Amino acid sequence: MARCLHCGSGMTPLELETHLARFLTGRLGEPVEVRRLERNTEGFSQETFSFDAQLGRETRRYVAKREPVAGLLEPYDLEPEFRVLHGLAGAGVLSPPTPWFSDDPRVLERPFYVMERLPGEVPLPTAGAAGTGPFTPAEREALAGQVAEALARLHAVDWRKRGFDFLGVPSPRRGAAERELARWEERIARAGFPAPPLLADALGWLRRSLPETGEITLVHGDFRLGNWLVDQRGDAATLLGVLDWEMVHLGDPLEDLAWCSCELWRGGTPWAGAMIAPEDFHLAYARASGRAVDPERMAFYRVLAVVKMIAIMLTGIRAFRDGRTSDLRMAIFDHQLPFLFALLALARGWLTGV
Amino acid sequence: MLIPIERLIDGCLHTLREEVLPEVASRAVRGRVWAVLDVLHNLRDRIEESRAPAETEAESAADALRRLAAARRDGADPESAARLEQALAAAPEGPPGARAAALRAALADAIAARPEGLAPPERDALRAHLAAQSLRDLAPLKPSLLAEISKG
Repeated sequence: MARCLHCGSGMTPLELETHLARFLTGRLGEPVEVRRLERNTEGFSQETFSFDAQLGRETRRYVAKREPVAGLLEPYDLEPEFRVLHGLAGAGVLSPPTPWFSDDPRVLERPFYVMERLPGEVPLPTAGAAGTGPFTPAEREALAGQVAEALARLHAVDWRKRGFDFLGVPSPRRGAAERELARWEERIARAGFPAPPLLADALGWLRRSLPETGEITLVHGDFRLGNWLVDQRGDAATLLGVLDWEMVHLGDPLEDLAWCSCELWRGGTPWAGAMIAPEDFHLAYARASGRAVDPERMAFYRVLAVVKMIAIMLTGIRAFRDGRTSDLRMAIFDHQLPFLFALLALARGWLTGV
Repeated sequence: MLIPIERLIDGCLHTLREEVLPEVASRAVRGRVWAVLDVLHNLRDRIEESRAPAETEAESAADALRRLAAARRDGADPESAARLEQALAAAPEGPPGARAAALRAALADAIAARPEGLAPPERDALRAHLAAQSLRDLAPLKPSLLAEISKG
């Protein structure tokens, strides 16, 4: 049977609905009918399906996330992400309530979890028509503080109390930075492309510049514009949810701050998250978290952010090149890499004085 | 580019044939899609990557390697300078893509060989090439359709 684009597998949409309905019936203890199943297009990594579950007259809205055959963050393991999302219930961090996980291949062929579908839309980190990004000035003003507070709340989660040490606790001092650098270096090596000079230079600088941190927190790993559920009203905006926790880990909280405010997620604007000036966003986070924004750590994680994105893109390019996926969205990274190398050149001072 | 043109075209053929065509109900539009498939299929083996960008990169990278070798010789590291000159001499004369790749790798190795970081004269030797090459790589790129790809 041909692969179905809508369901991303050999299963037809009808089969997918039937299997999901059987799964939910078992979990909820009453008959469930699955309706309006739709494959979401935003995510480039895991396969994401939204659907309605009909229980008698009641309609519940859910999202199922499933491991892809190949993708940007391979090798995949959904279980740690599920355990964190499940364990965050009631923590006040705007994570979607996530009740169920299954790795039984008879259900959806590959491991998946089901979470509640939160309201709101996902503004994309792409340039608007007039270079204004996805938000109006009033939305930007309303949102910036909420985002900074949401990030501070996430970093305030008591991960020991919630049992998240299964994520692996970095060793003290430079351990967090060292582990993240090793993680992305390993992915670059696994992609198997020779490192070009600008990447070799950046990796060398990162190895020499590992910063110390005295605190280890829960780190989302992909907290940025494009993973926020927002209610936009033109004259205001409300942050309703934070999505895509697949890179969650324990580490330096400033890693999230640098990722969120770096050039990758500015939507064609000069502003962090297309909201406010990066330095103002850092101040807002410092106020919300009570944490100093150390420039040395931020400089390290800003360069690491670009290297991490390069590693992700190289992984996708390798999967496409080797024929493990025919998803052309992986191929487009081949002509996006030059933007990232230009960012590295800028960050490492190669473009100054030329 | 890391993906060969033939693989990109194969990906386009697969997407159109396996994913787009089954969703197209109009016979007229299906006919047009088949025409695109026919064109791409026949184009596949007649296309080769433009030589000029690789030739420009290779020339610029060779110049950077020579400058770096001179900086290392001046910095009392003749062994390293000799290794760079050997790498330059060992780079294939062609095709241009292979020569550019060899010289790119030699530059990356030369940078990685200094875990303590490049000395200022070494950075100066590489600066013009790295800056110009990053801008040359950007120049041919078209505006991104990422928003449309994401929204569907």
